[in-house]
Amino acid sequence: MSFIWRKRWFLLLFPLLLAATTWQIRVETDLNAFFTATDNEDSKLLSGLLQSGELSRRYLLVVEKNNEDGLRVNSTTSPPIPPQSTISIDEFSAKLVLQLAKLSGVERVWPANEPPREWIEAIRSYAPYHARLFSLNPQQDGLRLFDPAGLDSRADSLKQAMLSPQGGFVKAIAKQDPLLLSLNGFKDLQGQFERQAKLNVGGGALILQSRPAALDSDAHSRLQAAIRENFDTLNRDARGAFRLSMAGVPVFSVAAHGEIGRDVTLVSVVSSVAVALVFLLLFHSFSALHWVMMVQAASFVVGTLATALAFGHVHSLTLALGASLIGICTDYPIHVMVHCAKHRHSPLDAARLLWPSLAMGGLTTVIGYAALGMTGFPGFEQIAVFALASIAASLGLTRWVLPALLVHSSLHTAHLPGIAAWVDFCGCHRKGLLVLFAVSVGLAGLSLPQLRWMDDMQKLAVDMDLLKRQDEAVRAHFSSIEPGRFVLVQAADLQTALRRSEAAERRLKSLQQAGVLSEYHGLFPWLASQDLQAENARVYSQATTPQFQTAWRLALTKAGLSVDKLGHLPSPAAESLDPKAVLATPVLQILSGQVINDQNGVALSLWLGEHNPDKLIEGLAGLEGTRYFSQKDQLDRLAGQYRDRSLVMLAIGIAVMGLFIWLQQRDIRKVLLTLLPSVASVLFIFATWALMGEEVSFLHVIGLLLSVSLCVDYGIFFMDNRGQDCDITYHAIAASTLTTLASFGALGLGKTPTLPILAVSVSLGVTLGFLLCPLLIQSGRNKGTNG
Amino acid sequence: MKHNAVALNMKLGLCLLLALSPMGVLADEAGLADLLGRIRQSGFAEFRYEETRKLELASSPWQAQGYMLSGADGSLVKLQLQPQRIIMAIARGRMYYWDPGQKQRHAAPLGQAGQAAGQITVFRSILQGHAEELQPTYDFAPEKHGKRWALRVTPKPGQSDEDAPSIEISGDEDGRKRQVLIRQPDGESTEYRLIKTSEGPELEYSIQRLLLEATGD
Repeated sequence: MSFIWRKRWFLLLFPLLLAATTWQIRVETDLNAFFTATDNEDSKLLSGLLQSGELSRRYLLVVEKNNEDGLRVNSTTSPPIPPQSTISIDEFSAKLVLQLAKLSGVERVWPANEPPREWIEAIRSYAPYHARLFSLNPQQDGLRLFDPAGLDSRADSLKQAMLSPQGGFVKAIAKQDPLLLSLNGFKDLQGQFERQAKLNVGGGALILQSRPAALDSDAHSRLQAAIRENFDTLNRDARGAFRLSMAGVPVFSVAAHGEIGRDVTLVSVVSSVAVALVFLLLFHSFSALHWVMMVQAASFVVGTLATALAFGHVHSLTLALGASLIGICTDYPIHVMVHCAKHRHSPLDAARLLWPSLAMGGLTTVIGYAALGMTGFPGFEQIAVFALASIAASLGLTRWVLPALLVHSSLHTAHLPGIAAWVDFCGCHRKGLLVLFAVSVGLAGLSLPQLRWMDDMQKLAVDMDLLKRQDEAVRAHFSSIEPGRFVLVQAADLQTALRRSEAAERRLKSLQQAGVLSEYHGLFPWLASQDLQAENARVYSQATTPQFQTAWRLALTKAGLSVDKLGHLPSPAAESLDPKAVLATPVLQILSGQVINDQNGVALSLWLGEHNPDKLIEGLAGLEGTRYFSQKDQLDRLAGQYRDRSLVMLAIGIAVMGLFIWLQQRDIRKVLLTLLPSVASVLFIFATWALMGEEVSFLHVIGLLLSVSLCVDYGIFFMDNRGQDCDITYHAIAASTLTTLASFGALGLGKTPTLPILAVSVSLGVTLGFLLCPLLIQSGRNKGTNG
Repeated sequence: MKHNAVALNMKLGLCLLLALSPMGVLADEAGLADLLGRIRQSGFAEFRYEETRKLELASSPWQAQGYMLSGADGSLVKLQLQPQRIIMAIARGRMYYWDPGQKQRHAAPLGQAGQAAGQITVFRSILQGHAEELQPTYDFAPEKHGKRWALRVTPKPGQSDEDAPSIEISGDEDGRKRQVLIRQPDGESTEYRLIKTSEGPELEYSIQRLLLEATGD
């Protein structure tokens, strides 16, 4: 095909491709989807909990009085308005609750020290099953609950309860359950709210259960804006007397989303501009820049479209890291253009001449990215596909389209100072430098045992100190159920799971009494196994003898209560309360997040307050299907797994690259020499980190894997030296290194720790690899042409 | 005026109301305004009360007595002294309950505190002269017969909460004494006989002290 038609087809197809990509693309911002592998049950559970877990969707809101100093400080443009509102925090919070309950993203909202109204209604519905649900330890509790000596006091308490503000609620229960046994099971629930009431004396602590998944940042961003808007409207009426603080997983996810969004924009813009500037510096040609940028843009679009088609969505971090690929893909046109300018070849001739090296370089880079995709990161699988498509497109366009685009461009390559001098220096002092290199390798090897591995995944999260402090301040107003650590009970079916959960709750109660645990939220009596219900019914039937019933009627008479209406203690309900039927009622909402159905059966979670993990694990020992689950530990375990896989993939990646180079060169010495600069640079970087005490994570290793895949290209180009001129080849490599540094260096500007780690790893790797090439690879062919 | 507890069930109460209905009804607005003005308690006041409650699940009426304190800011504290000490209060949009004997403490926003709060809120509105708050959902029927007066406040059909109580407040020329009868739709009723024992800002201290005790602060 003639150049003119190649150019026309390119100019026609590129906008079409861009339109198709825009139509197809769905950008995902969920960091969890990017980082959390779902290749085992625990990872799936963790991933599910992070995305849609009940506690992950919960906001903690605190309304507090504004102090006057704060108002004065804030009132810089208008006269200070002292808080003259006579409305109390209680009243204000009650109004806010009513307003927030109307928001579409709110499932329910309630004051932290009071159960939501639907909970009260749900408790009332358990009254007919009182004889089957009164205790987790019916045999033991039965002695106290059915002690005839305590009946007078029970009757008095019943009367007082009916005279209290809860009279209506108690009356409805007492008609079916005169001994109020069903309330006995819910005593722990009452305790939770009483503890909360002590923490929330001011009355401004609210809990808001949202509808969207925790990591649906867009929905939560809108919800948080709506919460603040409603608060501000009410607060204006109260003359600005109050302030609102928010905490909870969605608050962090929205903040992280914002940070990542800013990072993606910053990295993309800086990376593109930096690469363009380096390019202009090297070639002094806007025309060439324009065409090369179009080629790179087309490669980027092909990568994005391929990823969208393969995965159904593209993660924003894939785009951020993909933007850095521009710097790599630019290497191929740069090599062509440097040779073109220095040798006065036509672009087509230069592309033909360099094609074997370019193809092999592209292949090794793809191998590096493929190895990256196999480290277990769902997000990096995307990046591997993105890289494969982008690099293939860039290579193809460089070979067949770029010569057509550059046909009228005038190329002048800048002479980079020091390049020739370094090549000459390496040639003149090779022996001495090699000895120094060998000694350095030895020392580096010796320092490796000092390497410190980072196993805390939290250190890789976006740093949000201010938000964390606010979170701690807000949580001080709430009882301390921890969102990330719980007891996990698993079984093949619900009944077995409930039996195991009840056994675990008995242990937890003992541990609570022993001070190992401050509190826990279990499932009893909301859900109870048939076995436990039968045991309760048996104890109840044995205890409620005719003598006991007579004593009860006597107690009622003494208390002035109606024997006709309360004197008959009914037999246990004929049928036990079916947990599956319960889960079809609003109780499901109360327990949502604690009952998880999966392919392998049922998982139940018992939420924990402050606790001692080691003693808790010890206390739960021996319980079948029951274990302590910590999201943080699970994440840390994942971090360890990722690190090990990254190291394996680093080794495999290097071996596969070596194999492909051997297939081309059929010379093991050349293969080793080609690989040596990149492998040596990896060793030196590991040694430097070891000596500096840097904690090395799987991301560091992944960065080095990327740098190896890039440095091997340099080795290939230097070893092939197809222009027969070391100086020109090294100039071309230098130009590639500069664009790679420009693009990966831009990652260093990101606040998401992932990006600076990759920036440092890749930048150090390619710089060292570049410097070691002329030292370690002795190229015999040199025409001495300097262009 | 002191009244003994009269055990009336709801039907009897309604019959009695029907029987008394021809006794000169003040249907005009001026009569209602006059009566509301007579009932209104503005500023701080203390009443001694006797209470008779008829509960569906009790075998006999339950009696109690104590003091009721009304604050200028709309707070209302009921200090029950017999048969045991209990504080029930509404203040700052919340209802508080403290039973030191049983160590039972409750607090809830008025809108969520159920039947008991609904009852005491309506009672407070009438006692403190905020009857207009009730007019959208309640019918007012003032009556005057000789020296005796009465105001019957009943939920408007279909516009009130289904648990909304009916209230009858009555008295005579002696402005210090009142009788309040609260009837629940489920048939339970509470009758208060009140006599004003004191008024003035010095009561604020007592109200605040009792509120602090009720809230547990």
